[in-house]
Amino acid sequence: MSEYDRIGIIFCDPPSGYTPVDLSDLIIFVRDNLKIPVIIDQPRYLFSDFHVLMETIRHHRLTSVILAGIRPERFRQIVRTAMTKLGYQAESVVIADFGDTWCVYESQVQNVYELLERVHSQVVDKRHQSSHIQQDTIVIGAGIAGIQASLEIANAGLKVYLIEKSGTIGGHMAKFDKTFPTLDCAACILTPKMVEVGQHPLIELMTCSEVVAVNGTPGHYKVTVRQSPRWVDVKSCIGCGTCSEKCPVKVSSEFDEGTTMRKAIYMPFPQAVPNKYLIDGEACRFIQEGKCGVCVKVCPVTGCINLYEVPREIEIEAGNIIVANGFKPFQASRIDRFGYGKYPNVLTSLEFERLINAAGPTGGEITFRTTDKKGNSVFVNDSGKPQKIGIIHCVGSRDENFNPYCSKVCCMYSLKLAHLVREKLPSAEIFEYFIDMRAFGKGYEEFYCRIQDEGVRMIRGKTARVDQIDGHLHLRTEDIIAGRMLEQDMDMIILSIGLEPADDQKKLSDILGIDVDEYGWFKAVRYEIDPVRTNRPGIWIAGVCQGPKDIPDSVVQASAAAAGVLQSIMSDRLTDSEVFPLTYMIN
Amino acid sequence: MISRVDPEFKQELHKYGLREWNECFHCGNCTAICPLTKDDNLFPRRGIRLAQMGLKKQLVSSVDPWLCYYCGECTETCPRNANPGELMMVLRRYLTSCYDWTGISRLFYTRKIWELAAIILIALGVIISFLVFLPPSPDLFSKPQAFINEQGGVMINSLANGISASRFVQLIEYGDLLMAILVAGFLISNIFHMFYRVILSDRNLKFPFYSYFTEFWSLIYNFVTQARFSKCDNRTYWIGHLLVMTGYTIMFTLIVAFLKEFQIEEIKPWYHWQRLLGYYSTFGILFFLIYTFIGRIRKTDLKMQFSHPSDWMFIVLLFFTAVTGILIHIFRVSGLPAATYFTYLIHLAFLVPMIVIEVPFSKWSHLAYRPFAVYFDRLRRAGQNRQSIVELTPAI
Ligand code: SF4
Ligand code: SF4
Ligand code: SF4
Ligand code: SF4
Repeated sequence: MSEYDRIGIIFCDPPSGYTPVDLSDLIIFVRDNLKIPVIIDQPRYLFSDFHVLMETIRHHRLTSVILAGIRPERFRQIVRTAMTKLGYQAESVVIADFGDTWCVYESQVQNVYELLERVHSQVVDKRHQSSHIQQDTIVIGAGIAGIQASLEIANAGLKVYLIEKSGTIGGHMAKFDKTFPTLDCAACILTPKMVEVGQHPLIELMTCSEVVAVNGTPGHYKVTVRQSPRWVDVKSCIGCGTCSEKCPVKVSSEFDEGTTMRKAIYMPFPQAVPNKYLIDGEACRFIQEGKCGVCVKVCPVTGCINLYEVPREIEIEAGNIIVANGFKPFQASRIDRFGYGKYPNVLTSLEFERLINAAGPTGGEITFRTTDKKGNSVFVNDSGKPQKIGIIHCVGSRDENFNPYCSKVCCMYSLKLAHLVREKLPSAEIFEYFIDMRAFGKGYEEFYCRIQDEGVRMIRGKTARVDQIDGHLHLRTEDIIAGRMLEQDMDMIILSIGLEPADDQKKLSDILGIDVDEYGWFKAVRYEIDPVRTNRPGIWIAGVCQGPKDIPDSVVQASAAAAGVLQSIMSDRLTDSEVFPLTYMIN
Repeated sequence: MISRVDPEFKQELHKYGLREWNECFHCGNCTAICPLTKDDNLFPRRGIRLAQMGLKKQLVSSVDPWLCYYCGECTETCPRNANPGELMMVLRRYLTSCYDWTGISRLFYTRKIWELAAIILIALGVIISFLVFLPPSPDLFSKPQAFINEQGGVMINSLANGISASRFVQLIEYGDLLMAILVAGFLISNIFHMFYRVILSDRNLKFPFYSYFTEFWSLIYNFVTQARFSKCDNRTYWIGHLLVMTGYTIMFTLIVAFLKEFQIEEIKPWYHWQRLLGYYSTFGILFFLIYTFIGRIRKTDLKMQFSHPSDWMFIVLLFFTAVTGILIHIFRVSGLPAATYFTYLIHLAFLVPMIVIEVPFSKWSHLAYRPFAVYFDRLRRAGQNRQSIVELTPAI
């Protein structure tokens, strides 16, 4: 704001029916204690003529106006219009509402003094607050939402630090085979975006990194990022894979949801960005026990693998932070009635997603899970094909004993999985057991009908338990529509697990100072009209971390968050109605 | 069939202990988890539905609530905490009051003060008639030795003034008989009423007449073994029921049918079959009582979380009957005639109302309704009449 900043206070007339009150004490207080230079008392004339109002404001060279009195809201619009016409921001009009009890002035006088003090100090503070806000942005989490938000901002020409906890960007979407309802190949949509992030000159990608502290003020955050070692230098690794070939340690692959094994030095998946190897410190023999080091010996680039690398902390200054840390899939073994973890062919939807993926453990064949000689459970190509597959909805969702909310995506992805099974095993019988079929999006209902037409049997009724009897998975469900109990034997069960806040959600909310809702999702201050703004200005949320949503919705929200960030940078100010309310009431 | 939906029905069920039912979103989990449902016995969910819609007629003609043994699994796993198991319990209370054509049961269930009043009234009646017909002998205090037999025990049948032992037993037997006739009369007519509502009033139901006989064994079998309970995971619950049911029945049979053999002056050695049966019954009843007492007070067990006043009434009466019964035995064996006489009196004052009130009108009646429900259910199945069952399922 300009240096010749002047605050004016207008004591408005009370609405008809209220007796006007003598304000002389109040005016003296405002003049002497608050040192407000311009005081206009009960200006009957002012609001009836827009031209007079404009002239008055111009004459007093007002840059901010406090409207005080009983329900001064009535005049906000006209004063605001005048102020904006004169080139000031809409927020330059602030309301100090004395409340209806103002007429009993005596009892309220102290409160009114306090109110005016509060309003005045906010208006003055705001003046001092506004220096240029930092232009760089931090995005936490590099799933589809984080990727989208980063690209939107970077493509507008601004710097983004993209902070990802794991070794690659891509998040959960990278694991999916197809997207619903269009059945597009998920990788075909995601990979180009990932590559773009990897190559973008304005996006600084930090993998294996976590935000550990946030200091500073809105618009000027100082963020401490802890970067764990990859032990492989991203710049010099040529991605030849020799190290991985020779590494003696095998552990189960997170990316494949444990359906395949990977080495301790590994590439998360072939399209990973950065497309470089990294070491899993917990599995690596050298890091755990100090012996091995094979990878260093075989690596053709000297100095590329450094087994002595240590974590480091970096401080980044940023004006805005977008949080897009995603979710955690519901842990199916928590419901022991479904036998997950006990019966090998009860799979979670994510495991099945990998199984059916052409890049998955069987190259896309649907086979049984068996135990190999070493006791690991594996999918092998010659174990036969399931002929009866049941998909159980709402596992862990819509259940007071677990998560009472609807996870929103599982109905649709279950239909998608049913379709993929139908494609690969045309003769298989497929059943979906649901409470309600939630197909609410564009094209979703049609998709549901299409899957029904493909011969997938829809059963309204929540399966209560799965038992393994003579090698079959025995299900008990009430078929509510038909009015009978169903006891069926299945070959394979897919549990449509829901979504839960990520493990680090609570910690992040503490570090960032943003609120979570009763279930632990981040809270948008006003979800209906401003779904990306948190209670802290300059911190935005996008994607599932705010609540379950599918890919299109996550992308939309990410773009909206990016719009908020860009707006704040372009207008060089952060507005937040919660932090700087425009209406003040007596407490 | 046209069904009248009655949204007010909820108010009525509140009196039978209903808490809430709006939580239920009809997912069917409860039916599917229930170890006792099969084919088209879709409880508890269908019961919830019928109740929510207020379809009383269909409710009364359904035996489903009796087929539920309240293992509580549905309640434990219900995704909406709708407590379906408790609703089955509420419906059983409701059905008990519907089967009872006199309306007494309804009165007792919905206004607990009436039940209490009736119990006190009957107890007073018992005490007064006992004192009138079998007044205490004045020698009880002055010459207690006169009532002691050669084993050193009290001669229980000689305590009344100027009444011979055989006359004493006879009078008690008359009383027994009167009670038995009353109870049996009410109970049998109630069961017939149940039969009418469940089987006869269903015009569509047709099954061969011989089914009445071929299915009869299920009635006996279920009564004796309480077998359906054993399907529940909680074995103690089943054993408790088995013990209390057999103990109670043995005692009942002994005092009603074999009083002459049972209540004799002589004190038999402890290994005599009569005493052993007596001990068994006492143990059975006590085991059950302690188990339920603890359960209902600590409320750790889901199914005992909510206790209707009628649940307590039944336990309390049974408790005092058992305790006074044990005391009589102790006083007798220790040779205390006066104490024996008065404890006997108090014992009757608990026993008679317990049987007269609880058996035909309140909680105890389930002992009869449950096996009959299985029997009727089998009869319905014998009819293979899916038609009527489909009609029972209103809009979903
Ligand atoms: S040092 Fe670690 S990563 Fe390298 S080969 Fe050995 S176990 Fe594998
Ligand atoms: S989306 Fe469907 S499966 Fe998932 S929680 Fe909601 S209703 Fe259940
Ligand atoms: S009572 Fe519970 S388990 Fe049963 S249908 Fe209703 S919500 Fe589902
Ligand atoms: S309490 Fe047990 S027996 Fe009764 S309906 Fe529920 S699951 Fe079935």
